Amino acid sequence: MTIDEMTSAADIAIDGFQPFWDAAASGELRFPACCTCERFHWYPMVRCPYCNGSDIEWKSIKPIGSVYSWTVVQRPFDTAFKNWTPYIVGLIEFIGAPGVRLITNLVDVEPQAIQFSMTVSPAFDLYDTAESRLMFRPKEMPTGSNQ
Amino acid sequence: MTPDIAIVGIGETAPVRCAERDLRSLVIDAVYEALDDAGIPPGEVDGVVTDSIVMPTTVPHDYVMAQLGATSRFDGAISYGGAGIACGPLQAALAIDAGLADVVVCYFGVDWGTRPSGPYGFHDLYPAKQAFEKPYGFNAQPIYFGLWTRRYMKEFGLTPEQLGSVAVQQRQHALMRGGGQMTKPLSIDDYLSAPCVADPLRIPDCCLITDGAGAFVMTSRERARDCRKPPVPVAGVGFQSIPVSGDSVFTQDPNLLTTPAAQAAADQAFNMAGIKRSDVDFLELYDCFTISVLMQLEDMGFCEKGEAGAFFESGRAAIGGDLPVNTHGGFLSYSYRLGIEHVVEAVRQLRGEAGTNQVANARFGAVGGFSLPDYGVLILGDDD
Repeated sequence: MTIDEMTSAADIAIDGFQPFWDAAASGELRFPACCTCERFHWYPMVRCPYCNGSDIEWKSIKPIGSVYSWTVVQRPFDTAFKNWTPYIVGLIEFIGAPGVRLITNLVDVEPQAIQFSMTVSPAFDLYDTAESRLMFRPKEMPTGSNQ
Repeated sequence: MTPDIAIVGIGETAPVRCAERDLRSLVIDAVYEALDDAGIPPGEVDGVVTDSIVMPTTVPHDYVMAQLGATSRFDGAISYGGAGIACGPLQAALAIDAGLADVVVCYFGVDWGTRPSGPYGFHDLYPAKQAFEKPYGFNAQPIYFGLWTRRYMKEFGLTPEQLGSVAVQQRQHALMRGGGQMTKPLSIDDYLSAPCVADPLRIPDCCLITDGAGAFVMTSRERARDCRKPPVPVAGVGFQSIPVSGDSVFTQDPNLLTTPAAQAAADQAFNMAGIKRSDVDFLELYDCFTISVLMQLEDMGFCEKGEAGAFFESGRAAIGGDLPVNTHGGFLSYSYRLGIEHVVEAVRQLRGEAGTNQVANARFGAVGGFSLPDYGVLILGDDD
């Protein structure tokens, strides 16, 4: 199977997934949150897993995350990814959405430069609606920042 | 209350990556071997139990019973893979103790050595995984556990040498025993120079891929006295699952570095058996990766959190150490059939049939079965 033949994420017709991709396409980061208990959850669920509420809203958060963990994949496990290796899978947490961790690819960074809790932001400029992949890169700090 | 049943027969096919026979044939061979080991005619089987996902979709109960020429009065399936296998005796005890069946067979087999998608296709049943993980190349177990391992190293100070000591220890057990898939020695230097798959995991951190099957036969303790070999009593079984779905459990579990449900399942099994952790003479743990062995050893209550690496590195998990772990070499060096070989090995140890790898005076052994978000614990043996 080639990357072209691979089912794109957006082709998977599951209720409740589309808002993530629509938000990414418009340069926003949104996650589902319960209107009753106000807690975020991920992945999208039909009922809030914490209070069983059914009123769920996708809330926009500040697009800044922190690296929880990462791995550099050296060998492809699917032929669709044979031209990718080595690639970096990261798991990102968000101050704006406690409890959510997002799988992504970290780009524009050398593996040895990645650190725990490093600040990253979505690469909205690289987002392609056909592939539906929202990648992250180290956040550029304003001039004069100590970080 | 401890179950009133015993394991009376075991069978397994030879560990190989690619078998010449198909999966159904391998399962039937293992079941017949287990029945022969028990001295019970195939037609006397009247109950059958497996996991609830892998076997029903590859080698279903009815196919096996037809091959035995046996009429089923009970069939059951629980969890999937490892936890389902470890909890086979939970289902058998419910049936036998209730008088619903007399002879219950538990079987399991995989042909992931020859099946094109191997173990990687399994998680496709979860839509969120396909939507939010696979497009990023987060598509195989070594990558999931690679993420966990890096964070575990930061949180608990685990060193590469400690992690590697699991692979080295289990290779030693497999070579002592013989007959496993790995036949070459592995030193810690070999380990440290092995290529990374998904860093920090290296090739020897990952389990083998196997075509093969195993089976075991259970009956009441009373009937067990008339079987061919000394019976191995089922002392306790525990099952537990956390409320985190299989698509979320590798990333969203709030306690991501703790084996889901392992402590609760172990508590249930030990309470049922009426024994303490320190009464166990050996462990057979679901060693899909080196890191998962360490986490289970801690989360089942055999070490403090963060101490399992030092436990292995100091040789305490060796045959002859204070708590031998994976005495046949496990999934890392013997074979990977999701834990049916762990039950078979535990029975051999408790019968005193483990040859060069025999744990001296073994009375109780525990098997840990891991199937995120489920966990199963099986305790076998008695005080005699």
